[in-house]
Amino acid sequence: MEPLSSSFRDPSGFMFSHQGCIYRQVNNSFSATYDNFMHSGLYNRLVDRGLLISHEEVVDGSARGTVEAYRIIKPLQIPFISYPYEWSFSQLKDAAMLTLKIQYEALKYGFVLKDASAYNVQFLNSKPVFIDTLSFARYTPGKPWVAYKQFCQHFLAPLALMAYTDVALSKLLITHIDGVPLSLASKLLPVKTRLNYSLMSHIHLHSKIQQQHADDAGDSKKTTTKNTRLSEQGLKALLESLAKTVQRLSWKMPRTEWGDYYEKTNYSDLASEQKRALVDNFLRGIPDTLEIIQDFGANTGEFSCIAAKHGALVISQDIDPVAVELNYRRNSTDGPTNILPLIQDFSAPSPGIGWGNAERASFLERSRCDALLVLALIHHLAISNNVPLQHIATLFAGMTDWIIIEFVPKSDSQVKRLLATRDDIFTRYTKEGFEHAFSGRFSIEQSAPVPDSERTLYLMKARSAPSTAT
Amino acid sequence: MIRVLSVLLLLFTYAQHASAYLDPGTGSMVLQGIIAALAVIGFTIKSYWYKIRGFFGKGGSSSLLEEEDEDAQRTE
Repeated sequence: MEPLSSSFRDPSGFMFSHQGCIYRQVNNSFSATYDNFMHSGLYNRLVDRGLLISHEEVVDGSARGTVEAYRIIKPLQIPFISYPYEWSFSQLKDAAMLTLKIQYEALKYGFVLKDASAYNVQFLNSKPVFIDTLSFARYTPGKPWVAYKQFCQHFLAPLALMAYTDVALSKLLITHIDGVPLSLASKLLPVKTRLNYSLMSHIHLHSKIQQQHADDAGDSKKTTTKNTRLSEQGLKALLESLAKTVQRLSWKMPRTEWGDYYEKTNYSDLASEQKRALVDNFLRGIPDTLEIIQDFGANTGEFSCIAAKHGALVISQDIDPVAVELNYRRNSTDGPTNILPLIQDFSAPSPGIGWGNAERASFLERSRCDALLVLALIHHLAISNNVPLQHIATLFAGMTDWIIIEFVPKSDSQVKRLLATRDDIFTRYTKEGFEHAFSGRFSIEQSAPVPDSERTLYLMKARSAPSTAT
Repeated sequence: MIRVLSVLLLLFTYAQHASAYLDPGTGSMVLQGIIAALAVIGFTIKSYWYKIRGFFGKGGSSSLLEEEDEDAQRTE
């Protein structure tokens, strides 16, 4: 029974892992609310609509909690955890709308959400799903929504910043674990947003009014603010207003160097088709079951789609927010649904943040996979980022048993572009140097040149991987 | 009597906060009241307007959060 390092703030219960599965303990103090929630019909409604994660109650004693345990529940297991600072614009927007829909539905059954944290949402089958089953409290008529501020900080502010200022500003969620402070968002948003009634209310005015009342708690004369009333109709109106604000936020995608990547590559049609066939064959040739496949530098997910046929889940990561956005939009409408696109800079991936630097796990702690695709990426790591090939091999070998990796030599036109404006200090960046560096950690099972190009595709097995029975 | 009532009121107030572990922010609560009041006024005006439109055979506006409209939003 190991409590999760991210689950400690809510006195209603906490999450723990036991024998490789995740469980949630419902504390005695929360028993009445929990039973109410389960029997009111709200749980069933939310699960039927696909909004809330389903769970089973553990009755066979296979997982025990602490003495305060009222119930132990086992939620549907989420195979991969991602965080809001890794999501594209639409992913964050969908998570925001999900939260509002749940709060709106909950009201009909006499419940409210105790919090509106973006960390209550995870992605499953290309859709956001709410995972905090204990976040529901009985609604007290007249009481304002306790999570309104958190909603604005976790969802509205970063979305507005992405839409109006710069899409990269979602990364502010790394340094601000409880969402972007409204005063900061207010300063960073362009002046024209003050002319927008919704943004003016929920962000700019909100920020000012927060500062005004900051000292109220300590002032015994200002008891009026504590007694602010909000009718149920008013709360519904507030939720509708937030929903409209979120829905109307749209991000005009700039033309980045990566957005039209697949049109501007140096692959001929023949080379593209052959490369796809090669990757498909290599994946098929892996004897192990592939639960999780990671695709690094996935761009819009062209090869993730191929991997999706061979693995249960593909984590499709790329540095470019435009590419990730396009990847997500396509998956959520046309599928495949077993792909999770995320924004990631492999030279400086997500750190561990929060309490003890362990509350939200680092990229490395979540990157364990059965197979790893590293296509058209190595030159960006080795040349643009000056990472020695040995270092790259070591990192990857620690993550995966199998790797499909494409070596892009200096004779390739893309690498020529990278080296055009700098000294070529990369004496060991050759096909032989690459094979030598990787042979230390991997055994090269197969290799094939990519037709009509200078590149070579490899299928390698990590030397630390358990040997497959023949 | 007054003492009993005020203790009960305090208990009631703090009981409300028992399961809510978040600090809602005083300013945020005040703002909710303002926004909601304005929104309700606006909504009331709109619903009368749509009632009039309905009288002339035009459809009404729909909520973004009500379930029936979920499929409609997905195609947007």
